[in-house]
Amino acid sequence: MRVEYINPFVEAAFNVLREVLQSDVRRGELYLKSTSTPVMGVAAIVGLAGDVEGRVLFDMDRPTALQIASTMNGEELATLDDLVKATITELANMITAQAVTKLHDLGFRFDLTPPAIFTGDNMEVSNSDVEALIVPMETVHGKIEINVAIRERA
Amino acid sequence: MAAQTAEQQANADTAEAAKRAGKVDFKMVTFSLAGKEYGIDIMSVKEIAKAGRFTYVPNAATYVRGVYNLRGEIISVIDLRIFFHLPAERKAEEALESLIILRIDEHVFGVIVDAIDKVVGISSSNIQPPHPIFGDINVKYIKGIVENGGKLYIILDVEKIFAPEREEDIEAKAKSASLLQKEGELIERDRRTGDRGADVALDFVRETLAAFRGFHGSELTDAWFRSRFAEWKASRKAQDLQLKEASEADEFLGSFWSPETGRLWDDDYAAAFEAALPPIEARSINVWNPGCGKGYETWSVACIMRKRYPEARIRIWANDSDLLAISMAPNMVFGENVPPYYGDFLGRGRNGLAFIQSIRDSIFFEFHDILNANTLPPLDLILCRDVLSFIPPIDQKRLIGDFSDKLKPNGVIFTGANERLGEGWAHVGTEAVPAFRKV
Repeated sequence: MRVEYINPFVEAAFNVLREVLQSDVRRGELYLKSTSTPVMGVAAIVGLAGDVEGRVLFDMDRPTALQIASTMNGEELATLDDLVKATITELANMITAQAVTKLHDLGFRFDLTPPAIFTGDNMEVSNSDVEALIVPMETVHGKIEINVAIRERA
Repeated sequence: MAAQTAEQQANADTAEAAKRAGKVDFKMVTFSLAGKEYGIDIMSVKEIAKAGRFTYVPNAATYVRGVYNLRGEIISVIDLRIFFHLPAERKAEEALESLIILRIDEHVFGVIVDAIDKVVGISSSNIQPPHPIFGDINVKYIKGIVENGGKLYIILDVEKIFAPEREEDIEAKAKSASLLQKEGELIERDRRTGDRGADVALDFVRETLAAFRGFHGSELTDAWFRSRFAEWKASRKAQDLQLKEASEADEFLGSFWSPETGRLWDDDYAAAFEAALPPIEARSINVWNPGCGKGYETWSVACIMRKRYPEARIRIWANDSDLLAISMAPNMVFGENVPPYYGDFLGRGRNGLAFIQSIRDSIFFEFHDILNANTLPPLDLILCRDVLSFIPPIDQKRLIGDFSDKLKPNGVIFTGANERLGEGWAHVGTEAVPAFRKV
C-alpha cells in the first residue's frame, strides 16, 4: 500500500473516533497482514474505487459496537438492532469519507461505495492474496481494528 | 470504566493467544534422550517399533548399532544417543530398544531413543528458532524449540541429520573447497590435516549471524561469506572466532553492504550503474525495488534511469516493511551537499532541495512486506540489494522464483555487491554492479 495513503486513514480514524466518543483514543502499532482475518463480531465494510481498488473494514466485538452506538446516540442501547447497525455503518462512512477527503487534497482520486455491515459469530474475511494494513484503535469502549487493503489499479 | 476496559483487553489478549496456540498445523513424535524431550516432524516418521538383537555391522561408525530386518526390508539402525554423544545405557542382550522408523526421501532408517512419548500437535507459529548457544546438540540439527503442556521440546531436523549427500552437493563442496584453497592458506592447512574445526566454526558464525542480525548465509552469499570468514579468521585468535554479541555480528557484516547504502549514490557509483543498465527499447519501463529502506537507492536509480532512458515512461514500485523508514521516503529533502550527478533533478523547495515532480511521479513508495503476495505488472528491472540475504533461505527461493515470474524475458535483476544468483541466471553486470538475466 502506498505510503501516502496510510496517514489519512490513521488521522481520520483518530479524529472521528475522538470526536464522536468525546474521549481519549489510543492508536496501536500499525502492521501488515495477508492471512485471513477473524472478524470479532461486528464488521462494517466500505469499498474504494477510482485510482485504486480496495476496501476498508472496521472490525469490533459486540459490546464495543453497542457501547459506541450508545455513546453516539446519547441513549443506552442494549441489543444489536437496526439503530446500532446504522450507527456503526455511519461511523465507518465518516472515517472513510474523511480519509478520502484528505487523499483528494493530496491529489489522489478515490470513490466510496456505500458501506455494508456484517454481524455474526465466528466470521472470517479471507482474501489472502491481498495485503492489508491493520490500524488498531483503542477506545474506552474497546478495540476497533481498521483493516485497509488498497492497491493501485493496474 | 478504565479498569473494566483493561480487563476486557486482557481477556481479548488471552483469547487471541489461545486461538493462535490452538491452530494445530504441525505434529511431532516426541521422545526423550538423556532426560531431555525431543520431537521429530511426524511427516518423516514411518512408524515406531520395539526391537532388539540388531545384526552387528563391522567397520561401521560407532553410532550405527547394526541393521534390522523390518518385515523383509533391511534398514540400518542408528543410536541417536551415541550420534549426539549423549550417555546411552547398555541394555541386556535380549532387551528391546525403542525404535523410531524414519523415512527420508526414499531411505528408511531406524533410530534408537531412550523412550518414545506420544504425538503432540502444535501450531508451527509457536516454534521458536534454535538459539546458537544450545548445549548438547549441534544447533544445525535443530529445527526449533517449542513449548507444549509445560514441557520444552527440541525439534530435530532429521532431514539435515540423515539426508544422504547428493551428488551435486558433493560436487559443490569439492568446488568450494578448491575455491577456498586459493583464498587462504589457513583453511588449506585445516583441510589437509583433516581438521573439521574450521567448518564447525564457520557454521557457527553463520548461525550466529542469523540469530543476531537475521543474515541468512545461503548459496546467494556463499562466496562472500567464505572469503570473509577466512579474513575474519586471519585477524582473530582461534578461541575468539565466534560472534558473541550483536556488535561483533555488525563488524563481521561490515564489508557485506553494497556500496553507497543509506545515502544518495555518489557520482562514480551512479555512473557505474548507468553503464550497467541494459538497453531497453520499450516506451514504458517498470522497475521493482523491494526492500528500499529509506528510499535513497530508489531516488538514485530514478534519476540515473531518467538520464539513461530519457524518452521512456519510468515507473518504480519501491517497498519496505519498515514503516518508519518508508514513511520518510516520499518527502525526502536534502541540504547542500548533494552529489553533482543529481543537480538537474533537484529543485529548491520550502525546506531545502527536493526532487522535481517528474522524478517524484515515477516512484510509488509502498508499505509492503514482500513475503506477502506481490502484485506488480511485468517488470523490466528489479533492484534488490542486500535484501534477499536477510530473508530465511526457504523464502529466498520462493522470492527468486517470484522475481523470475515477474521479469519480462529480457529483464534484469540488480543484486547486492556480494550477492550472486545461482542456477538459471546469467551474470550480465560488472564487478561493481552485479546484474543477472534469466537463461
